[in-house]
Amino acid sequence: MEVKLMTGNEAAARGFYEAGGLVASSYPGSPTVELLEAVRAYAPEVYAEFSVNEKVALEVGIGASFTGARAMVSMKHVGVNIAMDPLMTFTQTPIQGGFLLVSGEDPGMMSSQNEQDNRVLGKFANMAILDPGSSQEAKDFAKLGFSLSEDYGLPVMLRMTSPVCHSRGPVEELEREVRDIAGFSKIPEDFGMVPPNTFPKQFEMKKRIERLTEDASGWDINFLEVWEEDERKKVSDTPFHPINGRQTVQRLAPSDPFFPPKTLIITSGLLYYNLKELEAPVDIYKLGMVYPLPIEALRSLVEDYEQVLVLEELTPFIENELKSHGIQCEGKKYFSFTGELHTELIEAGLVKAGVLGSAKYETAGEVDTVARISMFCAGCPHRPVFDILKKNKISVIGDIGCYSLAVLEPLHMLNTIISMGATIGIMKGMSKALSLSGKAEPLVSVIGDGTFFHSGMTGALNLLHQLDSNANLTLIILNNGTTAMTGGQMTATSGSYTKDWDMNTSIPELLKAMGFPRVRVVDQFDYKGAKAAIEEELKFEGLSIVMTTRPCALNFKIREPYFVVDPQICIGCRSCVKTNCPPIIMKQYEGIEKLKSSIDPDLCVGCSVCSQVCPVSAISRVGDKGRVAKAVSKPDTTLTENKTPSEGGKQ
Amino acid sequence: MVRNIMLGGVGGQGLVMTTAIISEAAFLAGFDVKTNDVIGLSQRGGKVWGSVRYGEEVFSPNIAPGRADVLLALEALEGLRWSGYVRAGGVVILNTAKIPPVPVITEKAAYPEDIEGLIAGDGQREVDVRAINALEEARKLGNLKVVNMVTMGMLSAVLEDISLDCWRKAIEAHVPEKTLALNLKAFDLGREIR
Repeated sequence: MEVKLMTGNEAAARGFYEAGGLVASSYPGSPTVELLEAVRAYAPEVYAEFSVNEKVALEVGIGASFTGARAMVSMKHVGVNIAMDPLMTFTQTPIQGGFLLVSGEDPGMMSSQNEQDNRVLGKFANMAILDPGSSQEAKDFAKLGFSLSEDYGLPVMLRMTSPVCHSRGPVEELEREVRDIAGFSKIPEDFGMVPPNTFPKQFEMKKRIERLTEDASGWDINFLEVWEEDERKKVSDTPFHPINGRQTVQRLAPSDPFFPPKTLIITSGLLYYNLKELEAPVDIYKLGMVYPLPIEALRSLVEDYEQVLVLEELTPFIENELKSHGIQCEGKKYFSFTGELHTELIEAGLVKAGVLGSAKYETAGEVDTVARISMFCAGCPHRPVFDILKKNKISVIGDIGCYSLAVLEPLHMLNTIISMGATIGIMKGMSKALSLSGKAEPLVSVIGDGTFFHSGMTGALNLLHQLDSNANLTLIILNNGTTAMTGGQMTATSGSYTKDWDMNTSIPELLKAMGFPRVRVVDQFDYKGAKAAIEEELKFEGLSIVMTTRPCALNFKIREPYFVVDPQICIGCRSCVKTNCPPIIMKQYEGIEKLKSSIDPDLCVGCSVCSQVCPVSAISRVGDKGRVAKAVSKPDTTLTENKTPSEGGKQ
Repeated sequence: MVRNIMLGGVGGQGLVMTTAIISEAAFLAGFDVKTNDVIGLSQRGGKVWGSVRYGEEVFSPNIAPGRADVLLALEALEGLRWSGYVRAGGVVILNTAKIPPVPVITEKAAYPEDIEGLIAGDGQREVDVRAINALEEARKLGNLKVVNMVTMGMLSAVLEDISLDCWRKAIEAHVPEKTLALNLKAFDLGREIR
């Protein structure tokens, strides 16, 4: 069999494939985006989709599992919140086809709005939780997850932290298992979850966790590794075999010269590998499954040690589990509750705990220099919209997507970002509270098309309930046909930009059908027209919706001839620089004293916005000198015909 | 012995593909390999960094501060930012082409002067800085996207335990066929730069 380098995401996808998985669903979110993309490579043997949101993705997985098919649903940690509703009831049913929920976690919040620890949710949902630490483990644990799911009749969580998802390592490829599916079993007592059907399910859930707790003490995914002089030896040194190769943990006999070892560190996932870098004189118990824990094995094991430490990122999940079973240990006393625990931080904790004498690792690596934060891409269609809003000194209620970047410098104009789709409900609540207190002010919220479909539509519909007809509310839908922040997945409007996509939902038609009286569509690369339209809606004393039409420049690889600045005409006012486009920067031209604007032709994609905000027409498209340039490519005309407020808009 | 290669760059420069090719080359040379890429929100012009570690047995994908044998910096400021990860006696392959970050564009900060000197000359740990304007080299070849290939060629000259054949095979496995010849040309050009 071939060994290949794979990321954790690719390896988990491979595990799904080898386990005979049939249906995979997901909603894009870092760090698990590439997992579903990797599953797609196995089509048509498998079905894979990015669903409209995580709840729908989970439901697609449930449906497949009900038929006996193995199903994998993947999402980022906060996505699991959206999916919790079906999950909490689905978990009561006797699982048919193995069901794996991949939860991508983000300790350190490299690309997330919070740092929640989904082991807590996995326990809450009575699931088994597997915690791989390498690509090979990601594949093996995914496969194990499917068999555990079927053997114990529960959904299984495969918890993968961001570095496990993204890091590469060697993975052994095996053949795909041939599986037949039983079909839908049609037993309402098992799958129709209303009382009294739910009553026995509470006992079944309890029993399956108890069975797992008991059995886990013998599995070799949970193993002890002892320190012998300068060599580490895995005590249960058998080839990985998920179910059949069960063993009891062997311990050093009292006659052994190294008995008793002093410190035991209980850990899991990547931290096991980060810890091994230290070559510390400790024994390690690595947990492959972090819930439920092999309590009995650990209870007798810890008796041999003077000190038991738990090494885990985020919450003291394992630590609390052990303590609640009366097993003495320490963890968060020495290791941070937030962020990733790299080797140097683990070493610092072990020094603090008295395990190591002094630190050999340096802890400061990143040099303190000029910061480089993310910014809108060259030609990003969000840029003119925020430029217009900024000029109107409007503060905006934000949402999740590339446009979240407007919360940062230099735009610094989004006041709130909470969760997917939240902007619209937040705007309504603010409006009601301010109006009741006599402090009403115009409110603006922005949302992208992907987020609108994900969970903004419901909030939008809710705006129409008990609407104050004179409350000045403006909702701007930044429709770029792309889930862009996660690397350019398709949305329900992508079909209007590319023939390669099967969904072509018209947001204006949808809003009209929902009953919105005032919906306006603008081409934001016609800067002046868009500015006039947006400003009119900002002033409108009532509810209005503005949808922009330009597609994501990055995803649709838009590149038009670049623009150039004539430094003789430029007055150095920085109107163009303030749009914050990567190629535009002030420059010292030869023979000109004042700084003048410049555009890097390597980076410019020719969107024309800078030329349109220039008050003295100093910027023109290359080879087009002396004329004010307009955007070249027009979006789909079916989107732009509705230039004025739709019928019934005047109130 | 484990070799540690740290990578730094700007979102959009192809750092993830660069990590993939380096790790593939090391893997083809018979080593155990682990890598990491930290991208975050940075598809959009932010800082991105990564690591490749290879040797007989590699545990963690992360490189600790002061332990990188080589830093491959696809942009000058990012070279400075991650230079604290380089060990004494290590090598920094530096693309001197500048991509101004937001504070520089908004005139709140100046782009640091003499980055080569800043990296090489703090006196506490000597590093071998191999600087080149890879953007200009790529321009000569007619495609700006091969910046990372030029620097990867330079890296290949440092990593003597990976044969040229492994590098070529790794590149073939990761770049589209129609740009393969150009990418190999850029790699070869980088490999000759001393």
